[in-house]
Amino acid sequence: MTALPASTDKKLGLVIDLDTCVGCHGCVTSCKGWNTENYGVPLSDMDAYGADPSGTFLNRVFSYEVQPADKPAQTVHFPKSCLHCEDAPCVTVCPTGASYKRTEDGIVLVNEDRCIGCGLCAWACPYGARELDQAAGVMKKCTLCVDRIYNENLEEVDRVPSCVRTCPAGARHFGDLGDPDSDVSKLVAERGGFDLMPEQGTKPVNKYLPPRPKDTMETAGIPDLKPVATEAKGFLGWLDKALEKL
Amino acid sequence: MDRTIYREIKATPALWQLGGLMIAFILAALWSVWTVEHHGHVITGMNNQIVWGLPHVFAIFLIVAASGALNVASIASVFGQKAYKPMARFSSLLAITLLVGGLAVVVLDLGRPDRLIVAMTTYNFSSIFAWNVLLYNGFIVIVGGYLVLQMMRKVDARWVKAAGVIAFVWRLALTTGTGSIFGWLVARPGYDAAIMAPLFIAMSFAFGLAVFLLVLMALFRLSDRMIGDAILIRLGRLLGIFAAAVLYFTAVQHLTNLYATEHGGVEWFILKDGGIFTALFWIVQVMIGGLAPMALVFLNPSRSSTMLASTLVVIGGIAQVYVIVIGGQAYPLDIFPGFEVVEGFNEGVVNTYTPSFYEILLGLGGVAIALFAAGLGAKVLRVLPTNLSDANVPGDS
Repeated sequence: MTALPASTDKKLGLVIDLDTCVGCHGCVTSCKGWNTENYGVPLSDMDAYGADPSGTFLNRVFSYEVQPADKPAQTVHFPKSCLHCEDAPCVTVCPTGASYKRTEDGIVLVNEDRCIGCGLCAWACPYGARELDQAAGVMKKCTLCVDRIYNENLEEVDRVPSCVRTCPAGARHFGDLGDPDSDVSKLVAERGGFDLMPEQGTKPVNKYLPPRPKDTMETAGIPDLKPVATEAKGFLGWLDKALEKL
Repeated sequence: MDRTIYREIKATPALWQLGGLMIAFILAALWSVWTVEHHGHVITGMNNQIVWGLPHVFAIFLIVAASGALNVASIASVFGQKAYKPMARFSSLLAITLLVGGLAVVVLDLGRPDRLIVAMTTYNFSSIFAWNVLLYNGFIVIVGGYLVLQMMRKVDARWVKAAGVIAFVWRLALTTGTGSIFGWLVARPGYDAAIMAPLFIAMSFAFGLAVFLLVLMALFRLSDRMIGDAILIRLGRLLGIFAAAVLYFTAVQHLTNLYATEHGGVEWFILKDGGIFTALFWIVQVMIGGLAPMALVFLNPSRSSTMLASTLVVIGGIAQVYVIVIGGQAYPLDIFPGFEVVEGFNEGVVNTYTPSFYEILLGLGGVAIALFAAGLGAKVLRVLPTNLSDANVPGDS
């Protein structure tokens, strides 16, 4: 029986800053690249150069528009991947126990040799974070780049998930969210990080930092610029008059 | 009244032709499976939003109907209604073959059907799906044993009754398990309801009896055997009661969901704004598959009414399973309430689904497997009585 561990030694996860994410899809590309070349290879593409291409992705960026009360509308880019939930429904519904949560670091993984491709975990995940690889016939999901973060053949700076390493805006952070003194835990506390859909009770490890309301001219406190001249003078003045006569 | 005599059915030309047609459907389904395995599920209509498609609709219908096909045997053995006893053997056989047909579709549509042995040997007991694997296998074994006991010449009737009781309890558990696959899907607003289990039990009573009646009438006609009006009218009335029970549980399911705010969106989608799903629900499921059969069997009880009502219940049943399985998935997840999706890879929009030719072939192949196996069983086993005319049906005492 594949039971969820009562507790995990660590809670490795991501903290994603919705305020700084610019929706460049760099994390998507980097994730696809790393995971096509390494663990669980490849993330297949179907009809990649045809009229209706599709493919398997472990991370996708969604864009939302929202209008806070008395504030201007703003666009929020929202990268979504497996949230490595503490009470992961994808693990409990898996009939063969192919989906499991590791006790040592809390990462939720799929044993692809045991997955029969029934798809029930994709139904059970409230975040829609699992995708059936159409070519392999098995379920795939974010591994938190488990083959990078412990890989001593890599430089220490590279021992983070691929999406975190590549994010140009620095909107993605990786660490142990079970340790209150870790950088990511402090960041979550400081910025009011939140769980996605907490009402589902899945207790996701990944956290999101909320987007700040967009500045307005009034709230930003920037004075109006005064005109520097009412009438053009000098060479530009002469050019302006000459052009007007044409 | 003559003694009930069970005999293998005759191999008439019509029976051979029907058998050939079933084999053609089975071969077509196997070709479909081979093609999908070769190209991947991308050539089907299923995707990461509509995870389970038309094959699963057929599979679930057959599995649910399998449980219900045992109605007649249960009524005879457990509740002691003698009029049903001559049909009890075939009722048991059909229950097994329908389940085999449904399971064949489920297995052949897996991402990795070659790993069936993994599914059969590795169980995660926190998964309702794993429990269902045990319930399905157990059903085949128990009903198989029950059938053998019924066919044995010198066996104490108490043993038959005991086996019938075990089979009856097991079939209730089986349908509860199947309904719970959906009832326990907390993440999806279209499911997540305890009533799914009793709803599926009611569905099994109706769908299974309807399929049983249609197959029984077809086999009797093909083998030139008599079946009386009285027993058909009686079974038709029972079907009407089961159809009413399905409507009742369906009404409670939707009214309860309408009352709960978190289910309101998906309810209005199914009941009012869902396009094809709304049409299937009201026109096919409720009117054609529910109210019309009831009107037929209660207002104009006759042999033809029972036959037509059975056909309508089957059509309505497939529509009901389609609305439950596909409709619930088509309704989008709402991850950021109040946020409007600008770009989202199907997020926030109603998910579309068009069944592919391959899926239709696979689903029909499952039906063909069930019917072919039932016909073959009736051909080689003594499960059907030679005469079910009214004068030859035992009265209840």
